[in-house]
Amino acid sequence: MIVLDYKDRRPLYEQVVERFKELIIKGILPEDMQMPSVRNQAMQLSINPNTIQRAYSELERQGFIYSVKGKGSFVANIGSLLDGKKEQWRQGMNSMILEGYAIGISRKEMEEMVAGGEMQHIAGQKNGPNSEQSKGQQQEEQKKRQQQSEGQEERGMDKL
Amino acid sequence: MIKAEKLTKRFDDIVAVDHITAEIKEGCVFGLIGTNGSGKSTFLRMASGILKPDEGSITIDGEEIWENPSVKARYFYISDDQHFFPNSTPQELMQFYRCIYPAFDEKRFYSLLENFGLKKDRKINTFSKGMKKQVSVICGICAGTDYIFCDETFDGLDPVMRQTVKSLFARDMEERNLTPIIASHNLRELEDICDHVGLLHRGGILLSRELDDMKLNIHKIQCVLKPGITPKDIVELDIVKQEQVGSLYTLTVRGNQEEIMRSMELVEPVFYELIPLSLEEIFISETEVAGYDIKALIL
Repeated sequence: MIVLDYKDRRPLYEQVVERFKELIIKGILPEDMQMPSVRNQAMQLSINPNTIQRAYSELERQGFIYSVKGKGSFVANIGSLLDGKKEQWRQGMNSMILEGYAIGISRKEMEEMVAGGEMQHIAGQKNGPNSEQSKGQQQEEQKKRQQQSEGQEERGMDKL
Repeated sequence: MIKAEKLTKRFDDIVAVDHITAEIKEGCVFGLIGTNGSGKSTFLRMASGILKPDEGSITIDGEEIWENPSVKARYFYISDDQHFFPNSTPQELMQFYRCIYPAFDEKRFYSLLENFGLKKDRKINTFSKGMKKQVSVICGICAGTDYIFCDETFDGLDPVMRQTVKSLFARDMEERNLTPIIASHNLRELEDICDHVGLLHRGGILLSRELDDMKLNIHKIQCVLKPGITPKDIVELDIVKQEQVGSLYTLTVRGNQEEIMRSMELVEPVFYELIPLSLEEIFISETEVAGYDIKALIL
């Protein structure tokens, strides 16, 4: 299910955490789905089961999975985690826009960048494993974001 | 738990293992790494009761290993230079091991032999080096022991076999708390599977630590400092090694990431970057500090 990059210099368990987070955020591992067992995962990757165990504990600590005694680990509801992440993104975007205006990037250029990003995103979705089901939803989200950032842009302009 | 206390072994005037004190916990993979002739094999041979320590002791759960059959049934030793009975077959080998190891899993032995594509009635001395290693590994895993000692076992195996053997170890660790102890030079190999690493050098143990802690505790910094500032001016930085090309410094530093970053921020460098070290680099930098820098002698 996940692939490790052996050239990556970070500890292996961090990579395992990172990969699973990605899968959960993208919705490839839906809520309440059972995580692969430590033993299976360790055998599949040919790594130490303690590494997987450590990664699972970290994922649980961060709220991505929950464990049921005697049954294994399951994917948690990450709605609130995702909301926090979105909020963070919005704030970051806002400051980027302000900075853009400050160094003289026009609104048109910004819009072109958003459109370009959208194209990349769609292309990535096509190659991705679960393209069809979530494409429409994510496009909508993209639109929403665009509108939002436009609103922020205007506000940014007012300030200038 | 395997415990060595002031373990020493001499061969005439050579001290192969010099007062080693170490602990190996159950349920983890212990990697024994070291320079050539640092005493890895000698340590394992004492742990498996082949050599008698000259001084100090080595015990499993408090019991001496030397000449103690009940303790000897708890581990399986895969030697680097393997010895098989003349003209024996894997089946005969299994019958021999079955007498020594009461928990030997015969059914699993045959099924693994078949999966690995080894014939049970072919003479072992007609097998290739790698195939002989495979036979030993299969015996080791099926012996049902608490510990398995591997001396350079991965050396003769091809990449597919290495992965397979690691998977087998992973399964048995989960199922019955097997503790593999692996001696090797191949650090890349150990990096994937070890929890704990003991670094030997000239018969002594340089360090013994959790692999992840080790990786988080030593970093490489590439930086360009403001004019007039040298790395010595950075407070609270434990520099192990320092190289300089033009204005670019490459420092090997001990300490955790946040502390290092804090110290670096204080001197407001023009640019700096923190890179974690691979096990191989840790090995090289630690042995260099201990005075093992062959490259410097050659160049």
